[in-house]
Amino acid sequence: MALSVRSWVANEGGKHLVLVLWLGANTLLFMRTFLMYYCGQQYHYLHQMLGLGLCISRASASVLNLNCSLVLLPMCRSLLTYLRGTHTVRSRKARRLLDKSKTFHVACGVAICVFSVVHVSAHLVNVVNFSVRYSEEFPSLNVARYRGEVRFPGITGILLVLILFLMFTASSYCIRVSNYEIFWYTHNLFIVFYIILIVHVVGGALKYQTNFEAHPPGCLRANQTNPDKTEEESGQAVGDGWSCREEARFQPNSPETWLWVSGPLCLYCAERLYRYIRSYSPVTIVAVVRHPCDVIELRMLKKDFKAHPGQYIVLNCPSVSSFENHPFTLTAVSWFKRFTELLLPDPGAESEILPMVQQRRYPKLYVDGPFGSSSQEVFNYEVSLCVAGGIGVTPFACVLHALLDGWRHFRLRRLYFVWVCRELQSFYWFAELLCALHHKLWKENRPDYLNLQLFVSQTDGLQNISEERYRPLSSRLMIGRPRWKLLFEEIGRTNKHKRVGVFCCGPKGISRTLHGLCNSDRYSGTTFEFNKESFS
Amino acid sequence: MGKIEWAMWANEQALAAGLILLTGGIVGVAGQFRDWEFAAYAIAAGVFVCLLEYPRGKRNKGTSVERTGQYCFTVCVKSFGPLTRNYYVRAFLHAAICVPGGFILATVLGCVCLGIASLIYLAAAIRGEQWEPILPRKESARKPVGESIKLPPQNPPPRPPAEMRRKRAEDLEAAAYVNPITVTANDD
Repeated sequence: MALSVRSWVANEGGKHLVLVLWLGANTLLFMRTFLMYYCGQQYHYLHQMLGLGLCISRASASVLNLNCSLVLLPMCRSLLTYLRGTHTVRSRKARRLLDKSKTFHVACGVAICVFSVVHVSAHLVNVVNFSVRYSEEFPSLNVARYRGEVRFPGITGILLVLILFLMFTASSYCIRVSNYEIFWYTHNLFIVFYIILIVHVVGGALKYQTNFEAHPPGCLRANQTNPDKTEEESGQAVGDGWSCREEARFQPNSPETWLWVSGPLCLYCAERLYRYIRSYSPVTIVAVVRHPCDVIELRMLKKDFKAHPGQYIVLNCPSVSSFENHPFTLTAVSWFKRFTELLLPDPGAESEILPMVQQRRYPKLYVDGPFGSSSQEVFNYEVSLCVAGGIGVTPFACVLHALLDGWRHFRLRRLYFVWVCRELQSFYWFAELLCALHHKLWKENRPDYLNLQLFVSQTDGLQNISEERYRPLSSRLMIGRPRWKLLFEEIGRTNKHKRVGVFCCGPKGISRTLHGLCNSDRYSGTTFEFNKESFS
Repeated sequence: MGKIEWAMWANEQALAAGLILLTGGIVGVAGQFRDWEFAAYAIAAGVFVCLLEYPRGKRNKGTSVERTGQYCFTVCVKSFGPLTRNYYVRAFLHAAICVPGGFILATVLGCVCLGIASLIYLAAAIRGEQWEPILPRKESARKPVGESIKLPPQNPPPRPPAEMRRKRAEDLEAAAYVNPITVTANDD
């Protein structure tokens, strides 16, 4: 598949622009702080004592300030949902950037780790230099009490690195997938991290000179000759003030971390509080339906709950675990405030719900949300392709429910729906919905609105949907895996020069293939924009 | 909380701690700190810990994700048998390795991180976890489709018992039976 510049820019351009801006901001901040400590007059004596270690440690500290403040913003999910839902962000391109909020959070996190390593290494060198280059000339500048003493005033720094170590090691992909609880509990140590971070700089080990006009750095003192330089050189070095009018005075740097960090921290804490208050009242479970392939459907009622198709919620079931919250996509949001959800119980917490549920003693469930996701954009394209893998059909089920209620007022004119499952039984989850929508569209004389393709990827055994009422499905059922390239070519030929939204919710293999196809060359002038929904 | 595999987290921590120890050692040696011999030891210890912890163990349930290129390390680590399989050995080994790192400032962070990893390994060992190597799965032969499916049927389709088949002259209506499978004419 040849890469096409136009397709690549349409799909990846926005993300890479944000990345370039972020890298630029970091580089600019690093260089500015570095040069301030390298050339600045007020740091001249300190620089003489500590050398490069001072400049690198302070420059990396300023980059850390920036990233510690930015890392919290993508996690304000309610705020992002608000921005996505109301048309505060009008452009669809900008809303697509909101899909990448978790990636941005990870990028800032990695930057924090990398620059922490740089910062700590530079400070280690500073500690040695404070000890070895103990200054008799300016005793107030020293941290060590006498030459050769290694004094380390940075206990807060050690604590910060330990917390960062715990958080970072627990957030790798395989830990998140296998033991999500470790990730969740260690990541919630962020509040301790930020409190210690704000206190970290208060120690004031690094000092700047307050009176460099009266005492230009390098000037000659009253009872001192400068053995290194000749008269002309020293005169040129410091201009006309080569004799000192007063002694150098030093003051510790005022802490600025709290200026950077307090805003986003307050915003995030407010968001968590809002989410906690919103999810305080438990939902009423109206019905529980068992579906084939170990899937249960929960129908719930909650006061003042409004959601749009494509959004997801986070469930908390205290009888299983008080602190764990797991995300699930909604499959139906109807006007009488009922919403349903399809749960795929993994061999973990959720399978413990079933025995309670079977005895009709429904456990208390708390719901936090709804939160926005990329699937909400299906209605904003003229042509959309929705690809679902197995249980990944849930966001699209909500879309189909919304179309069943009324399809005319959306911008969407044609929907291609491809559903790939391993077993035939899985199609029965939404067989009724698909057939109902198909019949409705045929009756209203828009048979080409919905193009349905069902695939069963396991090829053993006789597979057929034999029920008469599901005839539209059995005639669109194909055995084997879909051939994506042919599908894209067909969509391109029948929708020339249009922008097609591609929505994928399924295994990584499928989404990678689709992403590659969206970026590659198309002959009919159609642009495919890739949007991915992920569960983890 | 009952099904957490602590060893996986301890493995990530030990690998990161090995890298921190290595970095601290490099800074200590390059900066020519006092007692730089401890920093040199930290470099060697860091490399050893990284090599030991690089191959990920197999999960009890679910799919195990390998690290890139870990197969050769898996083979080396597997060859030590119970020494590397048992997590008690690893916990005490890491605790012993980290102690010399605590003597100079440059490596004290690596020492503390490796200490934490060793405690988590101890917790994993107490819960009975073990290191299993991730070996390439031998392609198990799929249930083979019987050869007979490719031959035409040898027997005629099942028919009702002989009493029903025998035409009874006195009751022609009752003698007729409905074919269980509808019979249609062959068009081709």
